[in-house]
Amino acid sequence: MFSFILVAASQLVFLERSFFKDLGLGRTGKDFILDNYVRFFTDGFYLNTLWVTVKTSALAALFTLLLGFPVAYLIARMRSRWAMVLLASIVVSTFITIVIKVYGLIVIFSASGVLNKTLLSLGLVSGPYSIFGKETGVVIGLMHFTLGFGVLLLYSVIQTIPRSFEEAAQIHGASRWRVYYRVIFPLALPGVTAMVLMVFNMCMGAFTSAALLGGGRVFTLPVLIQRTVFMDIKYSMAATLAAVLLFSVILINILSIYLLRRMRAAHLVTV
Amino acid sequence: MARPFSIHRVQRRLGKGLFWLYCSLSYIFLLAPIVVVIGTSFNGPTETVDASFDFPPKNLSFHWYTQIPRTQFEALGLSFALAAISAVGACLLGVPAALGLVRSNLPGKALIAAIFRAPLQIPSIVTGIAFLQLYYLVGDLTGLYWQGTLAGLALGHIFVATPYVVGTVTAILQRFDRRLEEAAVIHGATPWRAFRRVTLPVIMPGVYAGALYAFMVSFADVPISIFLTVPGFVTYPVEIFFALENDFDPSLMASASVVILVCLALLLVMQRVVGLEVLLRTGGGGGR
Repeated sequence: MFSFILVAASQLVFLERSFFKDLGLGRTGKDFILDNYVRFFTDGFYLNTLWVTVKTSALAALFTLLLGFPVAYLIARMRSRWAMVLLASIVVSTFITIVIKVYGLIVIFSASGVLNKTLLSLGLVSGPYSIFGKETGVVIGLMHFTLGFGVLLLYSVIQTIPRSFEEAAQIHGASRWRVYYRVIFPLALPGVTAMVLMVFNMCMGAFTSAALLGGGRVFTLPVLIQRTVFMDIKYSMAATLAAVLLFSVILINILSIYLLRRMRAAHLVTV
Repeated sequence: MARPFSIHRVQRRLGKGLFWLYCSLSYIFLLAPIVVVIGTSFNGPTETVDASFDFPPKNLSFHWYTQIPRTQFEALGLSFALAAISAVGACLLGVPAALGLVRSNLPGKALIAAIFRAPLQIPSIVTGIAFLQLYYLVGDLTGLYWQGTLAGLALGHIFVATPYVVGTVTAILQRFDRRLEEAAVIHGATPWRAFRRVTLPVIMPGVYAGALYAFMVSFADVPISIFLTVPGFVTYPVEIFFALENDFDPSLMASASVVILVCLALLLVMQRVVGLEVLLRTGGGGGR
């Protein structure tokens, strides 16, 4: 356990590095300065990167919820053996490395790929549609990374809601839709917010799908960090970026938890 | 007699149909890339590189499976070894940690639990760069550089994998009735024997599930490995990552299909050993 705390503390080693000046070729200066941070918060490019990271992560988290919730509900309430099969396929797709899934996406969305052939033959698009180098592509990639996790988490949440609550509501004349948004959704809300935050966190740190689908045109912070290390070889700038990423994740998490508490206190949400 | 026409029934049917359609679309979205990768891997030899990505595949054959280059096999070997080491390492660290967290009355238990959960909250790219910097620092101090070594890579992976084991084992321990252990001790078992014969069998499903999570997490990782590997010593996902950044090699689909099948087989084994429910219950509740 002691060794683990040591490892946890060592995680902050990079923070120190972020306060030194880059001298090029990976060497860093010895003087303690805030240059890197000043550069980050005054340079539009860096600020825009932070904004793109937050935006794509938030969108991915939202769409993961929209696509994942009905599926999780379906599996949780299914009574046949098929539920296990559906669940197993989610687990399988979750555990397969994102690189392989992105590979599949590239094949699907390539100019001569399945999707474009179909779209072109149906006359829905005039030229091949591409998701590469666009934020749309990055969001799709992020969702492939998180959707499985999202469904599994929501599934375990919905499973804890007794079926009898729904039946009771239906007996009292509530429509299907009303049952959803007056019974199931409010009861699942704590789990849902936990899931959305977790997926958001995952996306903020997600590197692979953003790097491959962004195609060197969409920069999120993780992609920029990797480039700063491998191409510019500026370790202290990379450390600065990592520190900014880490603290924005922590900040956004604390803020959303605080907001939720406030809303709960004001009875804006009934959780 | 025909049932009377009811607008409500039509509405309900329609609603149900739309719901199913919606769910199927989610599934198609989720599974399409995997299906396409497996499908295209069976394409026969083609004239142009473009044609090798045809789906559904043409001239079914195992052609691309014979074209998998050596480097990919080496990367696969490294990934498997690394994932196994990470799973074992995560269990060795995680099981005692979970026992300590649930059983003891240490002051600051919440803080320790938070530290154990931290690797899940930290963006993995930050973990990657932190380990790189750490190894530089250790290297500068001792002359031993850990980046590009199996030990260095394994340490990073164990760091992110341990919380999963802690989560799954904690989830089981919290429901475990301590009186069972006490009963064993009253009947003359030593505490160690009671632990080995009573507690351990109960928490074993959690250990298996945690180990599987650790294995999979390690096997799939790019953001940490990318910083800790060196050319000629890369894990499989990093190998494909660079291959995708540079050029398309259709033989990748063959090796990717092999990986998919291995993941599938592993999950089937787990399903047989502990059941999918345990995996979900423990992982969904505590792991992530």
